[in-house]
Amino acid sequence: MTTLEVRDLTKTFHRHRAVDGVSFTLTPGRTVALVGESGSGKSTIARMIARLVRPTSGEITLTGQSGEPVPRRAYRDQVQMIFQDPFASLNPFHTVEHHLARPLLLHGRSRAEVPHLLERVSLTPDLARRRPHELSGGQRQRVAIARALAPGAKVIIADEPVSMLDVSIRLGVLKLLDRLQREEDLAVLYITHDLATARHFSDEVLVMHQGRIVERGPGDDVLLRPQDPYTRRLAAAAPDPEARFRPGGQP
Amino acid sequence: MTWSGKLRAGLGLAGLIVLFGLVGPLLTGDPATIRDIGLTPPGHGHLLGTTIIGQDVLAQLTHATRGSLWIGVLVGVMATVLSAIFGIVGAYAGGVVDEAFSLFSNVMLVIPGLPLVIVIAGFVPADQRGTWTISLVLAITGWAAAARVLRAQTLSLRNRDYVAAARVSGEKTWRVICVEILPNLLPILASQFVFAVVLAILSEAGLSFLGLGAADSSTLGTMLYYAQNGFALQREAWWWFVPPGLVIALFGGALSLVNFSIDEIINPALRERIRRRSDVVATTPVVEAVDEDAVLTVSDLNVVYQGVTPVHAVKNVSLTLRRGEILGLAGESGCGKTTLAYAINRLHRPPAEVTSGSVVFDGVDVLALGPEELREFRWVRLSMVFQGAMNSLNPVTPIRAQLQDVLRTHRPSLSTSDREARCAEVLRLVGVDPARLGSYPHELSGGMRQRVMIAMALLLEPQVMIMDEPTTALDVLVQREILNEIKRLRDELRFAVVFITHDLPLLLELSDRIAVMREGEVVEYATAEEMYLRPQHPYTRQLLASFPSLTGERGALIR
Repeated sequence: MTTLEVRDLTKTFHRHRAVDGVSFTLTPGRTVALVGESGSGKSTIARMIARLVRPTSGEITLTGQSGEPVPRRAYRDQVQMIFQDPFASLNPFHTVEHHLARPLLLHGRSRAEVPHLLERVSLTPDLARRRPHELSGGQRQRVAIARALAPGAKVIIADEPVSMLDVSIRLGVLKLLDRLQREEDLAVLYITHDLATARHFSDEVLVMHQGRIVERGPGDDVLLRPQDPYTRRLAAAAPDPEARFRPGGQP
Repeated sequence: MTWSGKLRAGLGLAGLIVLFGLVGPLLTGDPATIRDIGLTPPGHGHLLGTTIIGQDVLAQLTHATRGSLWIGVLVGVMATVLSAIFGIVGAYAGGVVDEAFSLFSNVMLVIPGLPLVIVIAGFVPADQRGTWTISLVLAITGWAAAARVLRAQTLSLRNRDYVAAARVSGEKTWRVICVEILPNLLPILASQFVFAVVLAILSEAGLSFLGLGAADSSTLGTMLYYAQNGFALQREAWWWFVPPGLVIALFGGALSLVNFSIDEIINPALRERIRRRSDVVATTPVVEAVDEDAVLTVSDLNVVYQGVTPVHAVKNVSLTLRRGEILGLAGESGCGKTTLAYAINRLHRPPAEVTSGSVVFDGVDVLALGPEELREFRWVRLSMVFQGAMNSLNPVTPIRAQLQDVLRTHRPSLSTSDREARCAEVLRLVGVDPARLGSYPHELSGGMRQRVMIAMALLLEPQVMIMDEPTTALDVLVQREILNEIKRLRDELRFAVVFITHDLPLLLELSDRIAVMREGEVVEYATAEEMYLRPQHPYTRQLLASFPSLTGERGALIR
């Protein structure tokens, strides 16, 4: 079982504690949602797990199938990240083929797997020859997901994967992530500011506020019966037409 | 298109000169042969005449062109490589390396180029002053400006997500630079290379003219040097000095044209604008407002972005906004909702064009207003909060000045104290402490800046406010406060709001009526309740289904 454990993770930028003593565990076949507003430190956590930013203190431990910690060199075979903006995360100069073939080759696989990768994210293999500007936002994000899968990753960090997409295609991308998580037994960290999708697409919800996790637990408990005052305010702030028009709702 | 015209002319001219320099020397004789027919004018077997000692000018010109081009290319390559190393590697590495590289380029940049070249070239003994030495000297003095440009560009590129993604996938640093970053710098590198070539040919000509050029080669500069020493000007032997001068000027001009077109490819805004037409081509006659209570009526409005392939961004849109109503305009990116808002406010610039339809505001045809009436109409009667408005405050002046500016323009009769009082009043309306009037925008949070923008839109008590995605960039808690504020203000001041967003649940909660737009058309237009309980159009249903409800049954969506 490939497990990623985050313990007491802290990141300080110019004396400001962006992330303050955060701990959680990602296990295969489970999605953990990390919810919070901008500036709460959730993207910094993603970047630390992806080894783009060095933690100030704390530990990120990846345990492999054998139960042994995964050595540093092999870390990126196992842990990959999906970025927020698919318009910025694909290089405009290169084809889809390049974006997928490079991680495959870097992790000892073959370029011939590209068509299969595209099929796994429900894209047609002929897309490989296209460049990013020829793709829609949803297609781009699927390519980005395929890129994360390419090294054979078992842990996926998805940093606001749908917030830059048009609303009508968001659910499609989230459902794809959810299907991959179940079919391939991935451990997923779903970072979002959207409480509703966090609840629907995760097994556990962590609510972040000013660098700390203020509340955690199963989605229904945390978001429907919030205990922490901050979570309560968050849950109450989401637009809810239900309350206006359904009998029993307030006018 | 015009840019390809420039590019064609530039490349064609440069190509001819290169061909002349490459092939010419093979066809003409030895440029050094001395004959006893000094200073023969053009004609009679010597197409461009002869020099003072009877050498053929055409033969000399072909060899000199070849020499100058060779130096130009050498310097171009060397300077571009130097600037790439110092600009790109430094910026990507960051930290101390960047500081050091950047300091070095800056020092090189402030040293005046030509005097340094003269000094360096002067110090090298004449017999060692070969083509390579001169090229090296020119390259060393010519790379720094390009390095600055490349550094700036690399700094922005290295923070792009695709660079981070390449690092996460495990790419080595040199590969990230060469494969991910460098290709995106190609247009800039090309333009810097072309510039370096021109500069090198000109500088070399200058050096040679001063007698400091390469000893072992003939270039256009040395040709001019000998013409000068042979008193060509005084002897009126124009055929001796005009041809080399002309070749230099034409080649410089040609490469500049090439560079212009590279710039235009990088920055499409430089391409010649499509000729301006009148901003309104057709207005249909004003129809009497049927709805007594209507403050804004849009009928059959069409907006087209004219271009090679015209884009019909707004198609036959008809909407009515009543006094005190909140009208929601919902749709995804590119559906034409912002274009529609711009058309109502007549903010369009070519290539956008209102091709037909009418906008009637309180009985006045907005599309037919003259410039002065339009000024009076905008902001006074209809104000707008733009997308990302919180970033549209001027960062260098305090809030007070920016609010007072509006009053000074539209209410010149107000006294200073009245102005101040009104500004404080609107801030209080949107829930910002009037003490904040002296603050600069960066001292306020995003939500606070957005409130200031709304206050500014309220300043002249308009009848209608158009808000384009006013809360999209804000966090939910701040969004909630601002929505409550808009509802309260509407109830207190009875103005009407057009609220544009892609967030349908938000509109369902906030608006009285909603228009759903898709590909320029209003596909459904109904009251919020009607739309929520009985959505008619499949697209509306699809949009509604795209937003899982926070409290709805879990798992209904997926499993």
